[in-house]
Amino acid sequence: MEQLLTANVATNLYWLGRYIERTEATLNQIVIAYDKIIDVDKDAGITLYSNFSTELEYTNAQDFLEKAIFGEHAANLETLTGYARENAIISRNHLNTQAFGEIIALHALFQRSSNSIIEIDYKLIDEAHSLISEMWGEISKASYKKISDYFLRLGQLVEKADFTFRFDDDKTRGLTIVEDIHNLLHSLEGTEEISVSQKQTQSIDYEAIINEIHNKIQSLIIQ
Amino acid sequence: MLETESELHKKFWEIFSKQDRQKIDEFKYHMDKFAINFNLYKDGNFIERSLPFDVIPRIISKEEFTKIEKGLQQRIQALNLFLEDLYTDAKIVKEGIVPQEFVEQASGYLKEFKGFSPSKKIRTHINGIDLVKDTVNDAWVILEDNLRVPSGSSYPLSIRDTYRKIYPDFFEQLKIEPIKQYPSYIKSAMNHVSCGGINVVLTPGRFNSAYYEHSYLAQEMDAQLVRAHELEVIDKKVYFKNYNGKRIRVGSIYRRLDDDFIDPTFFNPESLIGVPGLVEAYLAGNVALMNAIGNGVADDKGIYYFVPKMIKYYLGEDPILHNAPTYLPYFKEDMEYVFKNIEKLVIKDVAEAGGYGVLFGHEMSALQLEDLKTAIKANPRRFIAQELIEFYDEKCYLDKELKDRKADFRAYVVMGEDIKVWQCGLTRYALEAGNYLVNSSQGGGFKDTWVMEL
Repeated sequence: MEQLLTANVATNLYWLGRYIERTEATLNQIVIAYDKIIDVDKDAGITLYSNFSTELEYTNAQDFLEKAIFGEHAANLETLTGYARENAIISRNHLNTQAFGEIIALHALFQRSSNSIIEIDYKLIDEAHSLISEMWGEISKASYKKISDYFLRLGQLVEKADFTFRFDDDKTRGLTIVEDIHNLLHSLEGTEEISVSQKQTQSIDYEAIINEIHNKIQSLIIQ
Repeated sequence: MLETESELHKKFWEIFSKQDRQKIDEFKYHMDKFAINFNLYKDGNFIERSLPFDVIPRIISKEEFTKIEKGLQQRIQALNLFLEDLYTDAKIVKEGIVPQEFVEQASGYLKEFKGFSPSKKIRTHINGIDLVKDTVNDAWVILEDNLRVPSGSSYPLSIRDTYRKIYPDFFEQLKIEPIKQYPSYIKSAMNHVSCGGINVVLTPGRFNSAYYEHSYLAQEMDAQLVRAHELEVIDKKVYFKNYNGKRIRVGSIYRRLDDDFIDPTFFNPESLIGVPGLVEAYLAGNVALMNAIGNGVADDKGIYYFVPKMIKYYLGEDPILHNAPTYLPYFKEDMEYVFKNIEKLVIKDVAEAGGYGVLFGHEMSALQLEDLKTAIKANPRRFIAQELIEFYDEKCYLDKELKDRKADFRAYVVMGEDIKVWQCGLTRYALEAGNYLVNSSQGGGFKDTWVMEL
């Protein structure tokens, strides 16, 4: 699996995986909250964004959609996909060309919608989901996995684990993802495989798990 | 003025007339989607933008291109010999073919490199030669040699792929030379001069105007794209810093930055994009640099005047491709001619590039011409004067109409084990009618170039 890669490219691929996953996971959460705001729980959006340490104010479901996607906060999707675009441009010579194109198109989609006077709706979310699926699909198609693909996947899984620990009531799925992360790290540097899913979930410090992963990744990529 | 339409052109128009023109918009879509950009800095702001593209290709017959090819091979061979001679024995100077004073005043001449010969004595690895087709003689004329860091090849390479997807009919029905092999030419040349190790493309970084090209070529050549701090020089050897801390020896560097910035310990100490110690490794013969350091002297606009003499001197041949008639105010008789005819000449500042510092006598007022004469008198070496070449226009499909625009042609020549001329090139056209400046940095667009036969 030997592949040459600069630390800069490895880092950008890792963050690309994270930002794309963050965008997708955020969209999923927005869809769930939007549905609740309509007629079940008017404050579902407030609860959701408190998990992002953001106080979101909105008047109705449509307003929530606008504020959630394009509001002035850290989870603004135009900004997140802008970061992903930047990561992709820096690492583009290690990325599948079609996948690269989908990332550029994803950011352009949010940029266009942000500048448009037309109200955003489900179509934007559907289109974004499609582009993200196509991107991952293009990357999965490669018959031979390279180190660069592993960094991208690593970013995706770390973000997935983080989201699962934040939002899911059942943390066992998150622990399974953590196992996958360790296996990936094992592939990248030969670390010991560990099985965290065997432990009692009540006694686990999830933040510590994520921090431990961050530390391992930091020691893996030598600047 | 357009060139007389050939059979090849007729075949193109026949197919073009049957194509869905709505699909032309797809080129822009593809360029945006894949961020095929040529970036600009305007008023201190970084602007990402795709290069304007025109769908009508420049068509050159295979027969005509073969002549261009031979002329370019001859020219590059002579220029390489000139550089090698100049930095070693300097016979051409000693024998008075090129005046010593003239060489020494060239800003690209680096006397610190006197006596050094690079790997395989090759200095002109990747070259971009700018030509136009003169309407008076119906012949190709060389306007400029770019022997340092010529850019632009990735744009026709990328657009050809797109063209084949959008309008496959042309490629099915016409005999158009394939062009994908260009990155492999560079790769072979890098391998040929390599001092042992991997190949890398050294980029100033993400915010360079041609970053897309650096990344594209690195990918196509299977080379690592690196910034300065991703290389390290230890004991006069260059190493690639892998993400896991491993150091991998580098044998050949395709550098996309100018001499001045390449090594802060040798050139500009302020350079943040250079590799400390690189020049020492290069001089020790431990790494090949493409193109060689010090090439700037050969693509100096003043030295250009002497290229036909170099061809005669080194190869004993007459030039196949001619220069535009050029005058050096440095020579007394040339200065007299320039002053008498200044209003019909093009005056170029030898220190400028990218279409900057080009003055058209016929566009200047009497007062401006007098000021220019004063500047020339004060520093004759700084200027050259050329007859205005009336070059052919190319048909362009702009705003859904066919319009004529001035267009030049940059040919790419790669020197490794042999000299290869890419069967394509960058055709650049001016956006406004009558404008002679076609450079991308002047807002010019580009076309694909099809070398075709019946």
